[in-house]
Amino acid sequence: MELLLKVNGTAWEISARPTARLIDVLRNQMGLTGTKEGCGEGECGACTVIVDGKAVNSCVMLAVQALGKEVLTVEGLAASGELDTLQQKFVEQGAVQCGFCTPGMLMSAKALLMANPLPSDQDIRKALAGNLCRCTGYKTIVAAVRAASGQETAAMEVPAEKEELLADLSVPGLAAPAPDVDAAGPASAPPRREGGE
Amino acid sequence: MSDDLRYVGKSYPVHDVAQKVTGELIYGSDLNFPGMLYAKLLLSPIAHGMVRSVDSSRAEALPGVLKVFSHLNSPADTYCRARLYPGQECAIDETLFSEHVRFVGDRVAAVVAISQAIAEAAVALIEVDYEELPALLTTKQALERSDVLIHADGNLLFEMQIESGERPDISGAVLVSSTTATPRVHHAALEPHVCVAQGHSTGGMTVWTTSQGAYGVRTVIADLLGLEYHKVRVIKAPMGGSFGGKTEFIVEPVTAFLAHETRRTVKLLFDREECIRATMVRPATETTIRTACAPDGQLLELEATTTLDSGGYASSTPDYADHMCKKVTKLYRLPHYDHRCQVVYTNTPVAGAARGWGAPEMITAVEIHLAKVAKRLRIDPVELRLKNLVQPFDIDPVTDMSLGDARVAECLERGAAAFDWTARRARATGKGRYRRGVGVACGAHKNGQFGSFAEASNMALKMNEDGTFELSASLHEPGCGVVTVMKIIVAEVLGVHPDLIAASEADTSATPFDYGTFGSRMTYVVGACAQATATELKASILAAAAEILETPLEELVAREGVVYVAGDERRSVAFRDIARLSHMKHVPAIQAATTYYATSNPGSYSVQFAEVEVDCATGLTAVTDFLAVGDVGRAINRGMVKAQFQGAVQMGIGYALYEHVDVDEAGRSGVDGFKNYHMVNAPDMPDIDVLIVEHEGDDGPFGAKSVGEVAMVPTAAAVVNAVNNALGTELSDLPLIPDRIIAALAANEGGEA
Repeated sequence: MELLLKVNGTAWEISARPTARLIDVLRNQMGLTGTKEGCGEGECGACTVIVDGKAVNSCVMLAVQALGKEVLTVEGLAASGELDTLQQKFVEQGAVQCGFCTPGMLMSAKALLMANPLPSDQDIRKALAGNLCRCTGYKTIVAAVRAASGQETAAMEVPAEKEELLADLSVPGLAAPAPDVDAAGPASAPPRREGGE
Repeated sequence: MSDDLRYVGKSYPVHDVAQKVTGELIYGSDLNFPGMLYAKLLLSPIAHGMVRSVDSSRAEALPGVLKVFSHLNSPADTYCRARLYPGQECAIDETLFSEHVRFVGDRVAAVVAISQAIAEAAVALIEVDYEELPALLTTKQALERSDVLIHADGNLLFEMQIESGERPDISGAVLVSSTTATPRVHHAALEPHVCVAQGHSTGGMTVWTTSQGAYGVRTVIADLLGLEYHKVRVIKAPMGGSFGGKTEFIVEPVTAFLAHETRRTVKLLFDREECIRATMVRPATETTIRTACAPDGQLLELEATTTLDSGGYASSTPDYADHMCKKVTKLYRLPHYDHRCQVVYTNTPVAGAARGWGAPEMITAVEIHLAKVAKRLRIDPVELRLKNLVQPFDIDPVTDMSLGDARVAECLERGAAAFDWTARRARATGKGRYRRGVGVACGAHKNGQFGSFAEASNMALKMNEDGTFELSASLHEPGCGVVTVMKIIVAEVLGVHPDLIAASEADTSATPFDYGTFGSRMTYVVGACAQATATELKASILAAAAEILETPLEELVAREGVVYVAGDERRSVAFRDIARLSHMKHVPAIQAATTYYATSNPGSYSVQFAEVEVDCATGLTAVTDFLAVGDVGRAINRGMVKAQFQGAVQMGIGYALYEHVDVDEAGRSGVDGFKNYHMVNAPDMPDIDVLIVEHEGDDGPFGAKSVGEVAMVPTAAAVVNAVNNALGTELSDLPLIPDRIIAALAANEGGEA
């Protein structure tokens, strides 16, 4: 059947079976391979995209269910060519390792921030509950989402020597290193431990 | 600590982070080629039996199907999925397709078709007649039933004994014994296993692998297919995690065979169920430990027996067992140590390489045992360990090598203070529904393979005419920042920012030989190679500058991409000009190619502290707080070192509490996807604090040691010990699923009544 889908602001007319999953249409027909498949049963969240403002698992959604709706994939986040704030914070906070969960994490976090611009850490963890990551332990991811919401915390403070480093590296084309994400615990946590080093 | 380092010790994202957050990075599972074919495997539905017949006629009649392969039309040659180099001693017991199927998930046949959907439809049309054999599902069954052979040479695949020291006088000693079972676990890298292979009409092939060792993939494929090594090009593709699960060559040989036969491009992409059933699991182990210690807690001896379940094939499990026997003496001073280990074939999923390579299994058993010893002796668990831990530059009596600047005792002392261990331990656990407890565990791991084989790495480094650098190395980025670490090391040596350096991943036609990215060898061995190569290149840069500036070498200094004449800094030449002039004017060439041989293998250490809350009504355990301390020598990429601990603790909590791939009485696991394989998600994770201990007393680059594996070694034991502290139990069958906790509580109450 012919499907008219709006993905990342662009209208697509594609031919697909009625049983086609949204993820397959995105990946195989539109070439949007940023959306990943990790389990095929809506458990890992690597395939998360945003449909009409809500985060959905595109591996358990039919393409026809997206008819007439706005689909946003990871490729649509930096549509202007510049990373959006959420992507930038994932980079800065070291929230990316193997990166296979990252697109889904970004889309779940994006949907959260669209609905709740100032989420608590608990809100963030809950919103990411359906997105599995096997690399990070989630700490840096939660910190990145918090930072993207504009809620600066102790975790985001750049230590003095880092400021010097950043100043030193103000060479065009050179990206600054990410701040030390664990320079201090999150502001909400009780200060029960001495510093690491 | 030397503070004059410019780039080492700061925090950097993984090298390909920009491509990862935009979704533009093409992973192995994203690869597509014109005219590409799709393979789908038929996996054995039975645990043990012989394939009587394979009827592929209906499958091959399906439009779009090219061919069906099984043992009937493929080589019967055996290979070892874990072989790293030709001639390596390993158990060679696997064929491309099995006539004798040995576990649910064994490869029986493969369809090659023009689409994934057709390949899947065709697999369902293959008719296989099996003659069932008795399925031996536990190591005990397999050892008892000598009448049923899983492999021709018997079900006992491997056994060994290691002993060090003299049997001491243990009269008056306190004897404690315990048995710990660790589960079969799915690695659960988020990206499934995948391979794309392109068969060339000339007989050669190109293979894209998400393996951790491209050279091993090459030699296994080439030897199996009878190809010359230079005609098999293996390229490491971006991968979505591994954790050891992609170390061995599981999908590569079969995909290469299908591509070679069809002379086409073939893609084999597993789904999650196939990953769970048909790749590899962390081995299930059972270890019984008996210790004798003086009443003050001084350990006099430790005797251990371990049985390791290899599953249907050997993979790397004999080596795994060997490593299990070499962990305890890296951690504790033992006047006498005796460890016997058996590795046994069973008709269960194949076991093999997993993060920590035997250390999480063995150390979990030891650390649960020591909690029991402390309880018997009424000694604080931290105090007990401090009496027995190894000290810097102790000699490991088992390997006869120095443990290097082993700072595990310092990790324990600093961690106990930071965690407020004594006060927390003294706190009441509670008697109501929710009970709290704290646990501690220590862990040790290694730094590469020195002592096992000729541990070495090779690299080449060049400078471009714009002053940028390219490191040619066979790296395999699993996602933990291997490439970034090499860039930082080279940057530090050359005195230029890491962004000016590119480091390659493995491509057997282009990058120098290296065993692969595993075995905690990256930072310590491969990183040292990067340091040596950069040091050599820097020397040639200075030699060229000496000619250009007409100044003796010893009067030159290099800083931030410029070589200056000391004391007269108006005279200088930029790196980029040196590169340009070296091409134009034949001043000495700027190049370096180095082989670095490791000469030591110190211990890396972690000490971890867990606090848990157990719901006695449901049996559910929540980890409420966690501190990981690591002796890593020096953090090269500080943020990523901490992130390694955070991720490892997440994996270790799952190992302790949730994850297990059990099989039913027919040998089939009920785990067929993530829906019934529980992993720790964001709300379940405690806030992990990480404390890094740095002393730089060893041979790694800038003193650095391994991190990624040792980080998860003590985690499970810390959690289990906390649960036992909360409940007054001595649980040691992992994972501590609610059923086991409820049963233990019931038994305790029965005992008290």
